[in-house]
Amino acid sequence: MLEARFESPLAGREVPADTYVSMREISERGMIDLRGSAADRKFMATAKSALGVDLPKQPRTTATWGDVRVFWLSPDQWLITCPRAKAQEMADQLSQDLAGVHSLAINVSDMRAVIRLEGEGVREVVMKGTAIDLTHGDYPPGTVRRMRFAEVAALLHIVEDNVIDIYVFRSFAQYTWDFLRKAARKGTEVRIFPKAG
Amino acid sequence: MLVVTCPVCGIEGEEADFHYGGQAHVRRPATTDPVNIKDEEQRDYLFIRHNPKGLHFERWRCDRGCGKWFHAARDTVTMDFKAYYGITEMPPLELQQQAKGTWADYFKSVAKAK
Repeated sequence: MLEARFESPLAGREVPADTYVSMREISERGMIDLRGSAADRKFMATAKSALGVDLPKQPRTTATWGDVRVFWLSPDQWLITCPRAKAQEMADQLSQDLAGVHSLAINVSDMRAVIRLEGEGVREVVMKGTAIDLTHGDYPPGTVRRMRFAEVAALLHIVEDNVIDIYVFRSFAQYTWDFLRKAARKGTEVRIFPKAG
Repeated sequence: MLVVTCPVCGIEGEEADFHYGGQAHVRRPATTDPVNIKDEEQRDYLFIRHNPKGLHFERWRCDRGCGKWFHAARDTVTMDFKAYYGITEMPPLELQQQAKGTWADYFKSVAKAK
């Protein structure tokens, strides 16, 4: 009998030692796709009571409650991140609570891979793959947005000033990993950008 | 390169972060009167598009951002975006008044229908 078992798309990849920012995969992250109308008060209230925090209404912002983090993706879409072990239970709970409200909550933990970049110069490394100016004041910690990164669709989350998570669809994980590894190789520092703040 | 601003999420991005969706305000005749639809109307709906020199109205999608469709008014000569507005909205009045040719006719017909 075959048993379904999760394997991270970057399993077996070694954490490179030749990069000037550290990079690793976060495979233990669970994700839930939540859709519903921000104008629907019942939906917003139910989501809040299930998650412990108000769904962010401001574009590109996040809300955090304990180990649950909610990303604003669009006016009617949020991505909830939580520990992988909790994701299915949370998605089920949300669906149950939201029964009768026009909405959708689904566990998409296996849909995306998460790569964490850490260290001085992370913004510069990410900017090698996108046209976004991350040195700009518009991108403080807590910012989240989707972007075109190295020509593929990606989700950017600025966790702290020098810590950035990049979410890509699972099938792009290896490509993105290889791109970042090259972009972050020691000796390729650009340092033309002012220190991000 | 065009620099586009999404009116829904507010991000500014280059053309490739967005997706061009063709001419705006194309009305599907079968929506209002499916029984008495004429061949000419269906032809116009499917194939006939304005191609103005100057002010034009288009649909765009925030492809690598919030994923929402929106409308944009663009000058096809200078490539300047004149306005962004919601996908269910009509252009700002002053732009409707600036429109020429087929677009002017269209906005007049819409105003009349109201």
